[in-house]
Parts: sequence; C-alpha cells; structure tokens
Amino acid sequence: MAPQYKLTYFDVPGMAETCRYLFSYGGIEFEDVRIKQENWPQVKDKMPFGTVPTLEHNGKVVDQSLAIARYLAKKVKLVGDNEWENLEIDATVDTINDIRQKIIAVFLEKDDAKKKALIEAVKKDTFGFYLPRLEAEVQKNKGYLVLGRLTWADFYFTTLSRVFDVVSGEDVLASYPNLKGVREKVNALPSIKKWNEIRPKTSH
Amino acid sequence: MAPSYKLTYFDGRGLGETSRFLFKYGGIDFEDVRIKKEEWPQWKEKFAFGQLPVLEHEGKQVGQSIAIARYLAKKVKLAGNDDWENLEIDAIVDTINDLRLKLVPIFYEQDEAKKKALIEVASKETLPYYLPRLEAVVKKNNGHFALGRLTWADFYFATISRVFLHSFTGSDALADYPNLKASRQKVNEIPAIKKWIETRPD
Repeated sequence: MAPQYKLTYFDVPGMAETCRYLFSYGGIEFEDVRIKQENWPQVKDKMPFGTVPTLEHNGKVVDQSLAIARYLAKKVKLVGDNEWENLEIDATVDTINDIRQKIIAVFLEKDDAKKKALIEAVKKDTFGFYLPRLEAEVQKNKGYLVLGRLTWADFYFTTLSRVFDVVSGEDVLASYPNLKGVREKVNALPSIKKWNEIRPKTSH
Repeated sequence: MAPSYKLTYFDGRGLGETSRFLFKYGGIDFEDVRIKKEEWPQWKEKFAFGQLPVLEHEGKQVGQSIAIARYLAKKVKLAGNDDWENLEIDAIVDTINDLRLKLVPIFYEQDEAKKKALIEVASKETLPYYLPRLEAVVKKNNGHFALGRLTWADFYFATISRVFLHSFTGSDALADYPNLKASRQKVNEIPAIKKWIETRPD
C-alpha cells in the first residue's frame, strides 16, 4: 500500500528535515519527494502559495513547514500534555525560527564584502544573542529545550543547527555544550540515527 | 480578583492585537499592559528573549505572538476540531505571517530611494502574488480563512492586515479583494470585538 503521507521539498534537509525526522521517529511511512532545481518553476505553480515543503494526505495539500511539523509531532507524541505546555514548545520553536529568519539574509547576499559583514553581524547579534539564552533554557530543562523532556522543538533545533555552521564557517555550538548536547541526543535516537544513514546524501 | 492572564505589549495594536481580540471574544479577563516605546529599554531585559508580546499566567511567562494566539484560540474555541483542521489553520496563519514579514522591511527602511524600491517590489510582486491567492482561499471557505468557518486565522488577518493599509501604497491595498475586505469587516463587527474597538486605549 502506498504511504498515506507525501512530503514534497527540495533535495536538501532545509525546512523539511524536521518533518522527515518526525516521520522517522514515529515509524510513519512517507513518500519523500525531492524536487530538482530545474523542475522547480513548474512545481512552484502547483503549490498553494508557491512554497515547499508541502504535505499531501487524503487528497488534501497543505504547506508551511512548522505547521506540518506541529501536526506530525502530535501524531508521534512529541508534544505537550496540555495547552500551556504546547504554548511553551510553540514559543521556543518560533524563537528558533526567528534565528533562521535572521540568517536567511546571508544566503541571499551575492556581494562578497556585504556577505562577510552580514556573517559577522549574525555571529555577534544573532548567535551571540539567542544561543546563550537557549543554552540557559536547556540547562534549566535537563538537557532538552522545553518541558525537561524530548519535544519537537529539539528536532527543529537539531535540523536547523546544521545551517549555523554553513553560514558562519565555524563550529557555532562549540561554546554551547548544552545545545550541542541536544543535537547529539536527537541524532543518537535509534530511528534518527537510521534515518541519517539511509537518507539521500546532500551537502549538509 | 486579579485577572489570571497578563498580556504585555507596546501601546499599539501590531502583534499583540490578535491576542487582545481573542481575550475579548472569549470574555476572558486579562491585564492589558502597554509599554511606551521610550520605556522599552528598561523593560527589555525582564523578558527572556527581549521581545513582546509576552503572556504571563500562574507565574510563568511565554513570548511569541502567534504561539500565544494559538493557545488563546483553543481556550475560546476558535481552533480546529482535530489535528488536521488545526494544521490547516496554522498553515494559513503562517502564510499571512510570511506576507507580513515581506512587508515589514518597508517600515524600517530609512533611505528614501531604498524604501521606494521596496515599495515597488511589494506593489508589483508581493501583494499581487499573495492577495489573489488569499482572496481565493476566503472565497472557497465561505468568507473565512480556513475550515469554512470563523477561526483565529480570521482574527489574525483582521489585525495584521493593518500593516498593508498603513500608508505605504497610499491606497487601500484590499480594494480589489472583496472577500478579504469582508472577512476583516465581519471580524470587526462581532459584538465583543466591536465593543473592544470602540473602547480600546489606542
């Protein structure tokens, strides 16, 4: 029987990897569709708002990576036990997403000198602001980002943190042992370890 | 008895207003703390990530406007009936937020020439891409943003869409989008919201 879920994205981890992790963690079969860059223009027009990832299920299509991740997290029980706990997870996820918004500019900048300046600004104002505060949250939460246990926030942080090093050219989490610990813990989960072994090879 | 919720934001609508609408809609008492821009530097350090809005409840503090709105929406029954319905609401809210994020730089740009260029892109590319698609969503959903009925996504658009109107195009950005305009109008006419709009501080 064909998988009930189809996830469509580019052939990179990017914004889909949290969802791929969640499917893998929950043992939920999914069609992992990866669009080649040259096919993107045709695919783009078919998507609700011209973006990916999208999730297809029971004939319906939805977009928005974090909305999809939240839905999957509920399915695989990596959410809170009540609405306030879900609020705490959502707030942490959105804060991590704020970091992502700030580093996108680096990738979009073509001019080398401007790019270099942006990277310095990101290191100082973005990583320098957010990472110590998230480090403190993990210390308070027994090695996890929220609620003192594994939630989908840890998955989102882990998958996004791949990009930190790509942006800055350094091991960004080197000075943040607790955050590094979150990533290590997530990647050591048997289902995630397996996923990382079998997933299509990409540049990061 | 003091309200069990405290919402802290700036003295304006912006990202705090969706939550204020939700509190009012649900008849939930809340302390509506408003910080003046000039006082913000002293306050900033009190909040974990130095941002507003912040919701306080039973001694705990949480930030992030959309997360707070999602929580309140469940309390006032403007959420989905199951996880897929909530996914549909979340997705359209995030899409409206994507549009907002694309327009925000216009307001912060000080250089007139750069500002003009940004407005050009917004008027020629961004709004013509998003608004017709959002219009189609609302048309398909009986005048709402999701599930064919009132959800917090309608509140989010009604409050956030002020960003589009705020003078950068010099005209009503929703003029050609009757369903979007009507959705916002319908929200503003809900009795509890109408009353709030008449009595709110700003």
